[in-house]
Formats: sequence, C-alpha cells, structure tokens
Amino acid sequence: MAGEIRPKSKEELEEMKIPYEEYCRKAFDPGNEWSKPDALKGIRWLSCTMYIFTPHSACNLAELGAEVIKIEIPRMGDAMRHTSPFNEAYLYPLHDTRPMTGTGYGFLNANQNEFFLSLDYHIPEMREVFYNLVRQSDGLTELYRPGTFDRWKMSYRTLQQINPRFIYVWGGGFGYGPKVFGGSYDILAQAHAGFASITGMHENMGGHATKSSNWVMDWNSGSLITFGVLGAIHWRRKTGLGTMIEFSQVQTSTMFTEYAVPLYGRFGIVRQRWGNWDTQLCVHGIILCGKSDFPDAQNPQDKFDARYVMVSAFQDRDFQELCNITGQKQLYDKHKAHKNRVEALAQIEIYNALEKWAADKTRSQVVKAMTDAGILAYPVMNDREVYENPHYKERGTIRWLDDPLYGDVLLQSGYSTGHMSKTPRKVNWIWRPVGADNVKLYRDMLGYPISKIEEWYAKAWI
Amino acid sequence: MPAKRDVEIKSRKDTLDLITPEIRPWPVSPPPSPEEVKKFYGKRKAEEFGQWLEDNLKFEYSFGKPEALQGFKVLDIGLWRLGHKFASALLSQAGAEMICIEPPGGDPMRQLTPFGREEYMLADKETGEKCGLGFIDHMRNKYSVTLNVETPEGQEVFKKLAVHADAVIDSTLPGYMDKLGIGYRQLKEINPRLVYCWVGLKGQWGPMKDRVSNFGQWELDPIAQAVDSYIHNTGFPQDQLPRGKGGDPTRAGCWAADYVAGTQTGINILAALYWRDEVSNEGQFIEVTSAEALMDILDFDIGWYGFNASIKGRTGGWDPNLNQYEWNPCKDGYMMIGGQSDRLWYRIGMCIERDYPQFGRLIHEDPFLKEVGARNALHALIKTYSVTTRWLRDINRVEAETKLMDYEIAAGPVLYIDETCEFPHFKYRPWVYTSETDYGTVLYATSNNAYQQRAPHRLKWLGRRLGKDNYEIYQRWVGTGPTKVDELKGKGVI
Repeated sequence: MAGEIRPKSKEELEEMKIPYEEYCRKAFDPGNEWSKPDALKGIRWLSCTMYIFTPHSACNLAELGAEVIKIEIPRMGDAMRHTSPFNEAYLYPLHDTRPMTGTGYGFLNANQNEFFLSLDYHIPEMREVFYNLVRQSDGLTELYRPGTFDRWKMSYRTLQQINPRFIYVWGGGFGYGPKVFGGSYDILAQAHAGFASITGMHENMGGHATKSSNWVMDWNSGSLITFGVLGAIHWRRKTGLGTMIEFSQVQTSTMFTEYAVPLYGRFGIVRQRWGNWDTQLCVHGIILCGKSDFPDAQNPQDKFDARYVMVSAFQDRDFQELCNITGQKQLYDKHKAHKNRVEALAQIEIYNALEKWAADKTRSQVVKAMTDAGILAYPVMNDREVYENPHYKERGTIRWLDDPLYGDVLLQSGYSTGHMSKTPRKVNWIWRPVGADNVKLYRDMLGYPISKIEEWYAKAWI
Repeated sequence: MPAKRDVEIKSRKDTLDLITPEIRPWPVSPPPSPEEVKKFYGKRKAEEFGQWLEDNLKFEYSFGKPEALQGFKVLDIGLWRLGHKFASALLSQAGAEMICIEPPGGDPMRQLTPFGREEYMLADKETGEKCGLGFIDHMRNKYSVTLNVETPEGQEVFKKLAVHADAVIDSTLPGYMDKLGIGYRQLKEINPRLVYCWVGLKGQWGPMKDRVSNFGQWELDPIAQAVDSYIHNTGFPQDQLPRGKGGDPTRAGCWAADYVAGTQTGINILAALYWRDEVSNEGQFIEVTSAEALMDILDFDIGWYGFNASIKGRTGGWDPNLNQYEWNPCKDGYMMIGGQSDRLWYRIGMCIERDYPQFGRLIHEDPFLKEVGARNALHALIKTYSVTTRWLRDINRVEAETKLMDYEIAAGPVLYIDETCEFPHFKYRPWVYTSETDYGTVLYATSNNAYQQRAPHRLKWLGRRLGKDNYEIYQRWVGTGPTKVDELKGKGVI
C-alpha cells in the first residue's frame, strides 16, 4: 500500500520518536552547514552587475554553491561600494591603489562568496578575454542600458554563437518598449508601479506616500531573476539550450499590491494607503503606546520609539477578548461581525480606542497584557532588539562571520533565506577588494601569463 | 453635450454597474503602436537591436514556446497566508503542475475583501460562489482540490498525491502535518525524492516560533515585518511629521514579507530539485519564514548594528545612503528623483537650475557636497532635499518629469494604481494584462519572467472555485473515480 510508513532501521525508528521541534532543529542544524554539500555545485555564473538588484540575483546563486565571478570597473568597482549609511561604515581597502578608500556597507549582503575580477569592457583587446569567460560559464547577469552590450558584441546575439548553453539575463528598469532606455532604481520601482501608492498613512490622517526604508524592490527582483535562472537551468537539462531573460524590475512593484490591480480593472477603484492597519482584517494593525520601554536609554531609537505594538485579533473570539481586557465591551457589541469591524470607520474607532487604552502603558505592558490574555501581539522591534532576539540567534539566521579579510562581521543574510536540510546555503566571505581574484582567474582559469596580467593592470584595463 | 443617462445614484451600489470593464475597458487608451516604439529605439541608434529584442522576447509569443518546469508536480497546502500562495504561483507560472489543497470549507482567505465589501468579490459564473480578489489573483495556473487531512482517509489520499509529487509546499501550523503522519519525516519514507518546504511566519522551532492565539487565530503578516525591524525602520520620523499623525513606524501596504518568503521558497525548491536531479536523487526538507526572508533583504541594517551599534531610524521618503535618491512633495503629488554619481548629480542640478538658479549656488558650489560619499551625511540630505523641494513645490508631477527626462535622469512620480495600469510602457509590454476567467475578465500583473527567448513563464488561468478540479485530479493522480469522490465528499473527506 502506497501510504504505509515503516521505519527501515533503528535510526529511523528513533527519528520518528523525537519531538517535532527537536527534529527540525536537528535536520537544519545551524552552524554545521559545511558538513553538507552545495546545491548548485558546478554552476559558474558571471555577474556583470552593480547596485543591489542584479548583484542579488547572482548572490543567491553563490550562496547556494555556484561559483560566481563578479566583474567590476577597474580601480573604481561597483558604485555600491561607495555607498554607506550616512557615510559612516566602511571596510578597507577598496583596491590596492586606493588604500584610504573603503567599501561601504551599502555593498553588504549583495555579493557574498563571489570572486572579484576587474575588466574594462570598453577595451577591444579585452573582448576575447571576456569571450573566454563566456565559453567556460553557464550564464551571466548584466544591467547596462539596452544595446550597450550589443554594441560591444557582448549581447546574447553574439554569445549564443559562442556558447549555445549560455543563459543570459538582462536586468533593468523597463525593457523593450517606449521607455526602453529609461534608467531605474529601487526607489523608482517603489514610486512608479504601485507599491508606494499603498504604503504610508492615509492622507486624511496626515500621512504621505512612504518609501520602504529598504531597497525591497531591488532585492526581491534580484531573487525573482534567480528563480527565472533556476527555471532556465532546469529547462536546459532537458534541451541543452540556453535562453535570454529580459527582466524589468519596476514590474515587481505592481506585483506587491495584492488585490489592487484586479480591483482597479474590474471596478475602477484605486487602492489607497491605509497606514498601519489592514484593509482586509481588523484588528490587525499597529498601535502607539503612551510610554517607551526604555525611557532612560541613550539611543533615541530606544528612548523614543520603543512604543509600538502589532496587535492581531481579527477573529471573533480574539476580538471579544481584546475588548474585554481593554475594557471596551461596547466595541465588541457594536462590531461583533468581522464584516462590520473591518469597515473603514469602524477601524478608526477601534484603533483609536485601543490607543487610548494604551496611552498610560509602556509597550511591554501592552504586549504582556495581550499575550497573557492569549491574544497575538508583538513589539515593533528595532535593529538592536532583532539582533539580541534569541530566536534568530538559535536559528543561526543572525550570526557573526569570521571573514577572512575583514574579521568579525555581523550577518543577517544568506542563512535567513531559508533552511535546507541537505544543501544549506553558506556564507564564506562578505566581499573582497576590487579585482582581488584577478590573478586567480586570469591565470589559473584562463591561462594568461602573469606578465600579461601585469601589463593589463598597468594600463588599467583590469 | 453628453447624453443624460437614465440612472439614479443613491448609493455606492448603484454605481457598480457603471464601471464594469464593458463600459470602462482596460486600457482606457490604446498602448503605443510598434511603429511609435521604433522611434524610441532610434534615439540611440538601436532600431535593429530593439527589433531583435521584440522578435525574441515578446510577451505575446510566450504561448508558442515550451514551459521551463514542464513535468514537475507540486502540492500546495496551507491557509491564510500569501507566502506559499506566491511561491506556488511562481512555480506554476514557470510550468509546474500545481495542486492547491484546501480543507472542504475552503481557505478563509477566499472571504477576505477590502473593508469587508462583498460587492468587490467576484462570483463564479457557474455556481455563483463568491471569492475575494486577492485570493483570485494568487490562484495562477493552479488546480483546486479539497481534502480534509484530519481524517484517516484524507491522510491516505494525501500520501497517494505525495507519491507523485516532486515538491510539497506546506504552510500549515508547525508540526501539524507531522502530527497527522503526513509531514516530511513520514513522506520521505514513501517518496525519498520529495522536496518538502514549510513556509511560515517565524519558524517551526525556536523561542519565537509560530503559534496561534488561545482562540485558534493564526499569525499573519505584517507580524513578520514587525519582528525583523522592517516596520521600525520605515516611515517618517517624528521630526518630519507629528507622532500619531504620520510620523510613526510604518508597515508596507501589502504583506511584503510573505511575498519575499514566497520568492525564496521558489528559489530553494528549484535549487533542491536541481541537486536531486543532477547529483543525489534525494529530496530534502526546507523551511522558509517571512520574517527571516525579509530580514535577508533589509539592506545592511542589522549588520550596521554589528559594525558600530547604530540603530537605524526612519527617514520618510528619503534614502539614508544615497543623495539624490528620494521623493518629495510637489504640487500634485510626489516626485521621485535619483542619481548619486557625479555625472547624474550635476545633471539633476543643471535641470533644476534652469528654473531656479539658486540651486547651483547653494548645492553645486557647496564644497562639502562635492564628494560623492560626503553627500550622504544627514545634514547634506536635509540641505539638498530642502532646496530641491523649493523647486518642486511650484510644479506638478508631469512638468517635473518632463524636465528631468530631458536630462536623462531616472526620475518619476509616485503613481497610483490606475496611473500605473495606464502607463504607456506598461501597457505596451504589457505588464498588466487581462485574463478571461471563471469570474469574468480580470486584470492582473504579469510575471517579470515572461519576457524570455525560450521558456517564458506565463499565466494560463486565474482564479479557481473551491474544489473545481476534484474529479479530474483524484482520477488522474490517485485513481479515485467520481463515484468514490462523491462518497468521500459525503463523508466530509473531500
């Protein structure tokens, strides 16, 4: 019978008996990733990329075990290396010739495990070198304006002749069409295609369209490219043929709007911002408490902003209990059915009442009162609290890396994309200086003599 | 003069029939023609390359091409959340056969509709059964079957389905499937090649693992956004807007963490399948959570805390790392401007100077602002954006955009969804498009992987009423004929 499950050995019998939580912890075993193989062993990818969006598409592959070669402009490197929060966090050096310039934290998490090659695409003599890389690789991601690589005879039209298995990804803002040459950034995607129009407090509450602090459109578009690439790799296993993907990043923002597109299409209704509440569930939102959890802290983020709680009690029983403990039975009587309390005016009334109740309480008092009553509530955590949270520490999703060049670096990425029991992702190093692997790749992989490499270096071709 | 129409509008309900796609179709104005678009390619002498792109990648050609994941079979079981739904939509748009398993009562998400308004739910043409738009939009190329896995017969059926599956996406509560004897640890015995991925909010294990309230309510995003610092770092600071009136930490308008987790779920499953097919012939167990997947892409934020104990604060419509890279209010909305390299930075200034000569004196001639890195300091942002907004406040979005476009700057207004859906470039590609569904014509956002030379992703159908495919799938996958299916239905198993 198909469904019958019999342990085949004593170990398996034991395994069946372990409590589930313990079983998961053992299966994923954070900290022991290197005792397990890489999922994408043998895939070699060229990353002709800058910023966050396209680099992240290759970084996902590198975390999964592919060999990724990042090609940068000689001596200058990826523009993101020159980006750092308020210009204050850098790791040195950027390049041998620039010891006093560092790589900024803006570069962090987007180029892990990669090998760093420098190459000036403008030099006709370097084209053959590039072709040699293509002959030995599975694919590339590039982000230059459409037609640029084509002018240099480096577009898919040329490369598929050299390597028919090659998978070529162009990632950019718009792609073919009237805005083909339009430049794009994460913030443009947020602004232009829907995400910003639904994020932020409603106009009537004094709010503005709000930028997601993080470059989520860039990062997630990069991941969507990785998804496309893996699909193409599966298809290539069958057919032996590569493909080209033209990926427009601005589009991701339209995808991140839930029901907004069909709502507009069918009813002509334009979804608006709804602040910290949910348009489809109530209570399921963030409330402001009267007092901070850390009134004496030095850091203003702790001192003034540890005041917000995410409360979720949208089912009838939960809402009833929420009304009970906050002393607002009349609210429950008035809005017994979810259908009624999720209406806009009801939401305003309910959240205002909750904030009034919380006006003389600290954030942790509110969370405790709700948790004790069996209702779901979480503090809105800042970066320090997330770092100190034992949950992520135990799961290994936030951890310190002993980076071979830069020493102790705190990691929030890589491991947090998901645990895999047999081929976990790994982070070996955060990045290396511009052109750090030139000799390794130009000599050891492509066979150019050191004298040649030195000549190129002197001319700033690499 | 337009003809006076014989309609009386007393409430919102009376207007609903006036805005259907038959009366107000999408697109309201036609997309640009290929001839017009050729002129744009010509601007950089790329007519031929542009033509090559269209010939090879055009969205409209996707149905004449093979599917990347054709032959893969995947089960998706879960409730309430978008993470597993987005993941399975990605896989099914790439060509995998996707079976969405719901309890006989259906996923409660089918009932969700903005502000509880039933009139915005769509009715299935055959049965009249209503479904929320969010759920319909995520049911892409998926079959819908019902199964009560809490019954022994249901578990037997699930095991039979799992024997055929390459992957299972599970978004139930931690340990739920295991307790029923159909979790990874049991299924791997009957299908060692199975890739099993649990998708949740915070985890199946660990001190803050997923839980339910005392009354059985599930945790849903934006809880995930709250516990990984996304919300704390997003929004306007109280120095810009009063607290409680816009100057607060702000959630993403959508369940963003779920979308991100869904994307990583898709990647991890495909990587595991690659390793299975190429190397090991073995499946494996995967766990993806919304809170952590979003944390992966919170820039350097938590890493920065490790660097010098900085705790990121909010900066509203500005980016704390780049200058210029922000949106600011203008006369009729918000205008986004970006460009931090010297080349773009000075071009932005040249554009603004045409109308407002002070900009050059105040910004370009400030010695502090001459160094790319130095411009990111907070006071530099405040100065630059104050002066930029002085220019923006007198003009509206389209004026600002036209002027900035003359200088080839990546700039654009904050658009509302109607403007997005009608944006000429978006219509041309198209990245919103219509699908004729069981619920009538529905407008949807297309996949960004649809523009591919050989195996593009595509939408075949959208939305599915509950259990529509019970007979077909149970016959084809489990060998259970209609009579038996009806019998099981009677017993509440299906």
